[in-house]
Amino acid sequence: MRVPHIVRIGALVIATTGFYTYVGQMVPQKEVQAPKETALGAGMSTADMVKIGREIMEGKGICLTCHTIGKSGALRFPDLAGIGERAKTREAGLSDVDYLAQSLYEPTAFVVPGFPPAMPPVNQPPIGLTDQEILCVIAALQTLGGTPTVTLETKHKYNSGAAAPGAAPAPAAPPKGSQLMPAVPKLVPLVAHHVPAGMGEGEARLAAAHLAEARQGEGGR
Amino acid sequence: MNALIGRRLLVLLGVIAALVLLTGLGRTASAMSEFQEAQAAAAAPAGQAGAKPEAENQAKQNADKPYEEVAYRTFPVVGSRVAIWSVAQLHLLFAAFVLAVPIFAFIVELIGYKTGDVRYDRLAHEFTKLLSVSFSLTATFGAFLTFMLIALYPKFTNYLMSVFSPTFLPYVILFFFEAFFLYTYYYGWGKFHPLVHLGLGLGLNIVGTAIMFIANAWLTFMTSPNGISSKGAVLSVWDAVHNYTWMPINVHRVIANVAFGGSVAAAYAAFKFLQSDNDEDRAHYDWMGYIGNFVAISAFLPLPFAGYWLAKEIYAFSQTLGLTMMGGAFSWLFIIQAVLIGNLFLAANYYLWLGMGRVEGANPLQKFIKYLLIGIALCFIVWATPRSIIATVSEIRAMGGSSHPILGYLGVMSAKNTAVNILILTTFMSFLLYRRTGKTATVAWAKKGHAAQLAIFATVAIFVIFLGVYGYFVEATVRIGLSVPQVLSVLFAMIAITAIDVFLFRGASRTGEVRWGRIPVISQYVLIFIAVTFTWLMGLMGYVRSGLRQHWHVYGVIRDQSVDAFTPTLGFATKVVSVTVLLFFLLIGLVFWISSLHDRPDFGKKDRTREDSGEGATGVHGAHSAHT
Repeated sequence: MRVPHIVRIGALVIATTGFYTYVGQMVPQKEVQAPKETALGAGMSTADMVKIGREIMEGKGICLTCHTIGKSGALRFPDLAGIGERAKTREAGLSDVDYLAQSLYEPTAFVVPGFPPAMPPVNQPPIGLTDQEILCVIAALQTLGGTPTVTLETKHKYNSGAAAPGAAPAPAAPPKGSQLMPAVPKLVPLVAHHVPAGMGEGEARLAAAHLAEARQGEGGR
Repeated sequence: MNALIGRRLLVLLGVIAALVLLTGLGRTASAMSEFQEAQAAAAAPAGQAGAKPEAENQAKQNADKPYEEVAYRTFPVVGSRVAIWSVAQLHLLFAAFVLAVPIFAFIVELIGYKTGDVRYDRLAHEFTKLLSVSFSLTATFGAFLTFMLIALYPKFTNYLMSVFSPTFLPYVILFFFEAFFLYTYYYGWGKFHPLVHLGLGLGLNIVGTAIMFIANAWLTFMTSPNGISSKGAVLSVWDAVHNYTWMPINVHRVIANVAFGGSVAAAYAAFKFLQSDNDEDRAHYDWMGYIGNFVAISAFLPLPFAGYWLAKEIYAFSQTLGLTMMGGAFSWLFIIQAVLIGNLFLAANYYLWLGMGRVEGANPLQKFIKYLLIGIALCFIVWATPRSIIATVSEIRAMGGSSHPILGYLGVMSAKNTAVNILILTTFMSFLLYRRTGKTATVAWAKKGHAAQLAIFATVAIFVIFLGVYGYFVEATVRIGLSVPQVLSVLFAMIAITAIDVFLFRGASRTGEVRWGRIPVISQYVLIFIAVTFTWLMGLMGYVRSGLRQHWHVYGVIRDQSVDAFTPTLGFATKVVSVTVLLFFLLIGLVFWISSLHDRPDFGKKDRTREDSGEGATGVHGAHSAHT
């Protein structure tokens, strides 16, 4: 029996889409949830902070999207293995905590030679980590070749209130009950004008807008 | 008798279908309404004890209830996101087709006008026949999408409207002109002076492109917002329109639409070829399929370069967004894309090679095909090799990580950029071989011309491969920049070789004629395969463009707080894409069928023809006996 062309065409269309659907099932399947505010208790130990910091690095902080741990060769961004030790001596006059904080709040203040200045400040949207979450990330980074020392009370130049170039404040939790609202952090008016050169230009503009609003807020008080 | 019963049965079935449709619509609307009410009741505070006071309280509350704008509503069964996704995708597929067909109908008509070859005019008219039904479906899905956005995402849609309200009036006016140009272009075929008709075609293309540019501003703003404060207040509508990804998307879509439209038109020609029962029609539709495919692949070749630009602008706007695309949640999507594009290149080349068979004297060139095939297959393998692979714990231990110790080197951008550039270059050479099939250059410098072409091809291929290998030995900052000379050298090769070829084969002698219609039937299925793959690819890339925002309505500014504020698995996404593609082909089949009605004889004439041939006798007698 000769199969009509129309049936063959239909079978071909279904088989082709079926094949591509099959290919889609063969790749790793990961559902990425929207990041949630991490619950951080006041009495949290450094060990707890390390655990949470690692989770943030893999999830909300999207650190491991670009950075590797324990890889060598043609890397696009610096490998993080040994960062806990390297951070102590990377920049003269900066402790490991200060250096790591600078890398997270103001990533282009120091760029590892041979790598592009492409890291965005993690305390601003779209990543938007809080000061405390960043302390947890610092604790987790310290474990990579070193020993974690930070606690939730640890102060560095970006959360102590001292003026620092490019330091932007932490985002506040979104107001409850608002289902659709601009994800703009509540700003503490401590920031300077500097916009990191390595950011995407759009990110830089948004950051500049945040800074301008922070200054307005300062004037209003 | 049988014919009469058949017709009555059809009428009955039509009535039943209409009733079922109306009932279905009523039930859907009712289900949606009940669903919303149930949600509202669930969200309301619990009532006091006792049914009567509760009811009274509720009634009182309802009487005093102020108006509140809800942020989200839920679509039953599949949810709001999938519903919007499918409708938007269908709208975009038809819109792409409606924008693409006039572009090449205009070009083909222009060629016909310039050369005086009526075949081109017939071809352009045939393409345009597909347009009017598709235009209605595009508008229908556009309205459907708008209503769905208003119903399911009212607050966010309201925000977008407040940002872009100045663009709406120009959009509507342009849409009116689009309808005017389209219908005068179609119905005015052969009724005006050719130049006037070409002017209508040009107007149609300009207006259609302008409409797309406006709509692109809305969607690109969501990915790379501009012209607003950090809290979303509008500072400059023009800046909101002219955001980072607007122009790259405009250019990318114009090219991609042409490629997509060409492939669907080629599929239409294949469909008609397979249905043809005479050599004349087969020859015509073979030629139409060839032209459609030629347009599709010609537009497809520069598409990766437009893609580079788009990706560059995404990185320029936000490094985070760019890295999410290429290295984060969506990185594996590009492996699926590699499979699709690899298939497109293989299928396009296969079709060209099959097409060589219709040209007398093609044999000398066919021997090169196996080398091209090897090159294409190797590039495909490299491009589809992932950086990290799914493996068991023991396999990961044996490999020393999730990357294969040897094949892992093929998963990085240096290898992939090289593969795609060589793939483009190889397919271009395939085109070139086809173009010169059955011809012999007669110019005095023919040998030198061939040698120059070969030298350019070889030099560029070696240069591209060299840069790819060099990328493994340099720092990241240098490596990223190597893709630019790779792309530019391939573009140079394509332009230079084509320019030489045009002069080389000017006044060439023919060694054989093209016998249109003499091509294996499988070639027509290849054209349909290409169209389905193109459509699926558009669905997939539409998903990454939109899904890239992840849990943001407007990236970095307005967050998605709905239940769908997560990025689904690629497996789920591909299922949605497949269902949408199947729906599209079902509907485009309807478009083909409706368009084919134009060529059918009138009902009365059909009966007379049957009567003349003796077929109608039964029907006439049957009708008579039915009345008695």
